[in-house]
Amino acid sequence: MLNRSLKLSKRMYHANASDFLKPTTLGSLVYGKDSMQYKVLSHAMDVSVPIYGFNERAIVHSLNVLKLPSSMLSVISSSNPPSFLHSSPALMELIKFHLVDKRYKTVAGIDPEAADEELPSLESLLLKRLKLNAPIASRLSQVLSQLAIPGPFLLNNALPELHRLSDDLLYFSNEKDHTDFAWYSKRLAISCTYVSSELFMSQDKSADFSQTFEFAQEKLHRVMKLGEYYNNTEEFTWYTMLSAVNLAKSQLARG
Amino acid sequence: MLRNSFPRISKRQFSRLSSLRATNATSKEPTKRSQNENRHFPLSEAQAAYLDRVVRVDQAGELGADYIYAGQYFVLSSKYPHLKPVLQHMWDQEIHHHKTFNSLQVKKRVRPSLFTPIWKLGAFVMGAGTAVISPQAAMACTEAVETVIGRHYNQQLRCLTNQFDLKKANGSVSVPPEVNSLTETIRQFRDEELEHLETAIEHDSKKAVPYMLLTEGIKGICKAAVWTAERI
Ligand SMILES: [Fe+2]
Ligand SMILES: [Fe+2]
Repeated sequence: MLNRSLKLSKRMYHANASDFLKPTTLGSLVYGKDSMQYKVLSHAMDVSVPIYGFNERAIVHSLNVLKLPSSMLSVISSSNPPSFLHSSPALMELIKFHLVDKRYKTVAGIDPEAADEELPSLESLLLKRLKLNAPIASRLSQVLSQLAIPGPFLLNNALPELHRLSDDLLYFSNEKDHTDFAWYSKRLAISCTYVSSELFMSQDKSADFSQTFEFAQEKLHRVMKLGEYYNNTEEFTWYTMLSAVNLAKSQLARG
Repeated sequence: MLRNSFPRISKRQFSRLSSLRATNATSKEPTKRSQNENRHFPLSEAQAAYLDRVVRVDQAGELGADYIYAGQYFVLSSKYPHLKPVLQHMWDQEIHHHKTFNSLQVKKRVRPSLFTPIWKLGAFVMGAGTAVISPQAAMACTEAVETVIGRHYNQQLRCLTNQFDLKKANGSVSVPPEVNSLTETIRQFRDEELEHLETAIEHDSKKAVPYMLLTEGIKGICKAAVWTAERI
């Protein structure tokens, strides 16, 4: 269990980007943006998935269009072990790609060092991430059902990726970050908001997903308020304790 | 030892996708290349994980120190006015330490220890509790805490100076600037903690009753807390 939870924290220390060479891989993927895998999978996401949905056929279709041998399929799937619960390792890779690539696209071009006024709000980043789902919205339920299967993929990929998304949304927005327990509650709140909005989006039939965005805004507003409640509780407990110590002191002084 | 485990290699030894993975990391523009020449290769996974831990445990430690002094000050400042400036000075330094690691934690995107509410509470109770016994007991508490923290910082300094020689793209080897600055910060804080230790002894920490029980007990608690905060 401890090992599992450590995975969440893996590679969380972010070194100064300007002092180091750029890593050749993108996030937790084993390939970079100039690789063949990236080309195939992003083509699949843009063109094939809207037609075929999330399955191997979508990847094969992209391979055909790009005039690549179908044996590339096994190259693409090679970083995932075969699993009884999931249909295909290549599909797992496509889903992983979908999560990682869209996360990077959401915050691309934002300089986190910029002044607060120039940074986007948390809400706008959340909506931006959801909008990236628009072309595949009708297929979202397929991804969600794959992600919900308990097992190593959930623990090693899906949950850490969700956590990284919340972490990025916070880091690249003008939202205040925290140095105590609120660090966790805020990320958890954002993750919950995101997942429930995605669920909503997969069923949303409104024009331009306006209902989804409304839902997300309202939900975000609500959970952030809850975060405030939490902090107020902590402060109140703190105050109570100070008075308790004072009381104990006066009792002791009286002997 | 940290140097030898490079990120991906430790996971999969067989480099089968190398041709597919080939990238134009060194860009076409000449200016970018010369800029890249002067950059370090990325930290290994083990090195990043180590720095992650350092920031987390030191943040938790300084949070604890901050609240220990808060507890001592809260109990002692009115009753023993001569201790007030001494405590205030040490407390101010701890607040500075705490703030420094807070900003590192946010900037380096390290998660804080999950138990921050417990560290706050425990530290405050420890500071206030020993101070309620006697000013000497409070000083014994400081002595014990600073002994453990000083040793802990020394261990980190040893690792930071030994394990972070990184290769640059141009072939030279050096310690990345941010690791250097972290080392400097920790060195300064270590010196200040040892000053606190001396201050505590000057203010009769050794006369505390029961000295051994207090110092050894608190040392044990601190070590357990360090172990936990590094991990969770
Ligand atoms: Fe300190
Ligand atoms: Fe100290």
